[in-house]
Amino acid sequence: MPNSLTPSLQPITPAYHLRILDDKQLEQMKSATIEILRETGVHCPSEKALNIYAEHGGIVNFEKQIVKIPPQIVLESMSHAPRFYTMGARLPSHDLNLDGKSTYITTDGCGVETIDFVTRQRRSSCKDDVAKMARISDYLTSIAFYWPIVSAQDYRSTAPLHELEASFNNTIKHVQSETIMDAKMARYAVEMARVIAGDEKTLRMRPPLSLLVCCIAPLGLDRDGMESALTLAEAGLPVGFMSMSNTGSTGPASLAGTLVVGDAEIVAAMCLIQMAYPGSPVFHSMMPGIMHPHSGAYLATAWEGTLLYPIGVELAHNWGVPSLAGVFATDGQVPGWQSAGDAASSLLLCALAGAETGSGMGLLESCTLLYPEEVLLDSDIYHRIRIECAGLDTSSEALALDVIKEVGPRGAFLRHRHTRDNLRKRTFSGLTMQPGKTGGYLDCVDVAKDKVKWILENHHPEPLDQHRQEELSHILMIAERAFG
Amino acid sequence: MPNELKPLEPIKTPYRLQYLSEDQLKQLQTATLAVMERTGVKFPSIKALNILAEHGVKVDFDKQIARFPSNIVMEYLSKMPRYFNIGARNSFYDFNLSDGCTYFTTDGCGVETIDINTRERRPSNKADVGMMARVADYLPSVAFYWPMVSSQEYGRTAPLHDLDAGFRNTLKHIQSETIMGEADARYALEMSTVIAGSKDELRKRPNFSLLVCTIAPLIQDKDGIEGAMVLAEAGVPVGFLSMPTMGTTAPATLAGALAMGDAEVISATVLMQMVAPGAPVFHSMMQAWADPSSGNYVSYPLDARGRYAPVEMAHHWGMPALGACYGTDAREAGTWQSGSEVALDAYMVGLTGAEFVTGMGLTHTYTRLFPESLLLDNDIYQKARHYLMTMDINDETLALDTVDAVGPGGHYLAQKHTRKHMRESMKRGVAHQVGPDGRYRDPREYAIEQTRWILANHHPEPVDGDRQKELDRILAAADKELGD
Repeated sequence: MPNSLTPSLQPITPAYHLRILDDKQLEQMKSATIEILRETGVHCPSEKALNIYAEHGGIVNFEKQIVKIPPQIVLESMSHAPRFYTMGARLPSHDLNLDGKSTYITTDGCGVETIDFVTRQRRSSCKDDVAKMARISDYLTSIAFYWPIVSAQDYRSTAPLHELEASFNNTIKHVQSETIMDAKMARYAVEMARVIAGDEKTLRMRPPLSLLVCCIAPLGLDRDGMESALTLAEAGLPVGFMSMSNTGSTGPASLAGTLVVGDAEIVAAMCLIQMAYPGSPVFHSMMPGIMHPHSGAYLATAWEGTLLYPIGVELAHNWGVPSLAGVFATDGQVPGWQSAGDAASSLLLCALAGAETGSGMGLLESCTLLYPEEVLLDSDIYHRIRIECAGLDTSSEALALDVIKEVGPRGAFLRHRHTRDNLRKRTFSGLTMQPGKTGGYLDCVDVAKDKVKWILENHHPEPLDQHRQEELSHILMIAERAFG
Repeated sequence: MPNELKPLEPIKTPYRLQYLSEDQLKQLQTATLAVMERTGVKFPSIKALNILAEHGVKVDFDKQIARFPSNIVMEYLSKMPRYFNIGARNSFYDFNLSDGCTYFTTDGCGVETIDINTRERRPSNKADVGMMARVADYLPSVAFYWPMVSSQEYGRTAPLHDLDAGFRNTLKHIQSETIMGEADARYALEMSTVIAGSKDELRKRPNFSLLVCTIAPLIQDKDGIEGAMVLAEAGVPVGFLSMPTMGTTAPATLAGALAMGDAEVISATVLMQMVAPGAPVFHSMMQAWADPSSGNYVSYPLDARGRYAPVEMAHHWGMPALGACYGTDAREAGTWQSGSEVALDAYMVGLTGAEFVTGMGLTHTYTRLFPESLLLDNDIYQKARHYLMTMDINDETLALDTVDAVGPGGHYLAQKHTRKHMRESMKRGVAHQVGPDGRYRDPREYAIEQTRWILANHHPEPVDGDRQKELDRILAAADKELGD
């Protein structure tokens, strides 16, 4: 089977930007976060982490496992965090340069159910789903890096490592995990990343793996998550922290209050990493929800809810770190009107706010259910927004005044050379307006399903060389033994 | 029994997005002036040509082409008001274009309706216009009403019947996009004077306005422009909408299409200022694309850039803009395509600061009415409206005392602050309606049910008996004089 070329990435590079909070509001938010860290503190049930906090000026109550961080310690720790860095890929052509100019988007991750590629039945997710979706993501220019989109549930306790193997074997793009938990698991993951990078210098300069760790609202850090993050940070791999505080249940019932609770969690975690490994790459990710008053459910896309995501981007930048924005998340249950509407709005505003990265495409039912075609549908929306953000060409070729004069009132532009040259440059959707055999247009969801099939049959990215494949298998085998 | 009046909910945002740079706006304006002076615009109306010639425009009467010296264009545009009043049958729904808000209307003028009861597709009729006027009257997102479909059973006088059905079923301002020709305009004027009470009152608080389509490339419609002149003299706002299609009736580059379409709008605007200096005129442009494989008119390709540029171009000329939103190419309401194509519209147009905007509720490229579409588009609108609101950051919303009281690991459900704010923190749209099984209902089904509820329960104050008789009399005269 011949290898396929992975197409070049097409990140969103906005020609214009949007500010939501003004400087005064940003400072108010920062002061509130600092006050929470000083007065209320965060719960951190990791002896290792508490010791690091205590050694670096944190006021630690070991009995209650609460750390309070004085303002000057917060600011001093955060001053070491780099604003810009590179997230590497297996091939340098697909490295992500987080320079603040472009927005790179990934898939969603760690869903637990899949609509089967063939039978269309709803079932538990498995490793093969992770691999297939990695290949689809490798093909799509909208997807800059890959979150293992569902859980390799057929592998139980070592599922996160199997997700990594399935990803590294099926895409040349950067892989970001959100499931590697605890220091032991993290050490295996670092070993796998080292195999992909090839050497220690490349691992640090162009890390092919990064990790996102969820905090536990309100104001809690996860022991295994933090210890895992410390292990990756020690190896120079980027780690990020995401808050998912829920307005009214795990956060105050006001938007600003929910944001600052989440911000305090993230900043406490980033401080820990900077205390332990100053200058190591970290990122900030704010994905709060709004609690449904009837069911208590976390809603990613209530009318006001999506406003919180671009504000999260601004908070990250105000702390001087890159952001992972919440985009595409939908509470919709099938690919349709709701999933489309939810996806478009959040991506547009996060891109205009200057998010460096964002997740993620392809899951429904509040990030739990994979419809493979949803990635194609989300990709279509992505390109609509990418082009929307690109500004307008007003060169003389584009203004075409001579052409307008030549054609004149009542004329037709169809025959003009300018039309022949330029109409092809216009970008049309590969999903909508696709002519059917019997006239009319095909249903775009059906077109997306066909496209999934086509990609799986035809796109085979350059595989890892035999030696590195064997190395990964070997690491997995040892991990299987260790975890039982 | 008439219902209580609900205040309008326009988009009001502190954020602004400048899509085109000052240099680009100047480039485009210079290009428009060049097209008007060099190429000219065809006015197939002897009345219009005479007025243009009398005011310094170079007219070729044989070819019916008017070429506008730039100084003449600028002189007459200087007479135009930047802002003006938009009146309504009930002054509660008056607004002014200087309010700093973006006001939305419905779409128009479709030709097919999916019957609300039988769900069969059929030609539209006057009852549909009245029905949707009532739904529009109920929704605070709809600030004024475009008759959404055509009263096709009335043939030649359908536009006047559309107006009649609008006046009788909503207290809000009506904007027609179908009244063409001097005679029709005079009847429409008579009807709106009846509603206003007097000509002076109509001039002060015009309850009716007109949007006239130009014909690309570079032609004015005879009946459209002659009808507009009648209304402009009476102080009724008129707007001009160009719809250049890239590759067929316009250059295949965006900037060229925009400059050419702008020349159509501005040449008509100049004529209005010659006829009635100071007449309220507005600017609108809705460029489209020709599908290279079929020549079909496409509103929403992937590259729909420039959709909002005309708003900035209008402001650069010093005139209000009617932004162009919604009107998906999808054949059916509630589908992925109908959501994805329009999801960004309300955000982008709100950010560019359009004074008013069309139009919610039609599918199949402005031709087909699914009554529930208005509720679905309303949902996208409300999401954007909330998104673009000012964020409250103060002691109450930051809730630091509550955060401290709950501390790490607690929950906010029992807090007084939560009880106080929970209800306002979750704004529920059609997608988050809980069904009897505890799951969220299908948004489209809910929208259909909600439309039926509005029709059963919302009855705006009717036009009083005397004025109803007057409208009947005018319509009878129009049917007799102009009818088929």
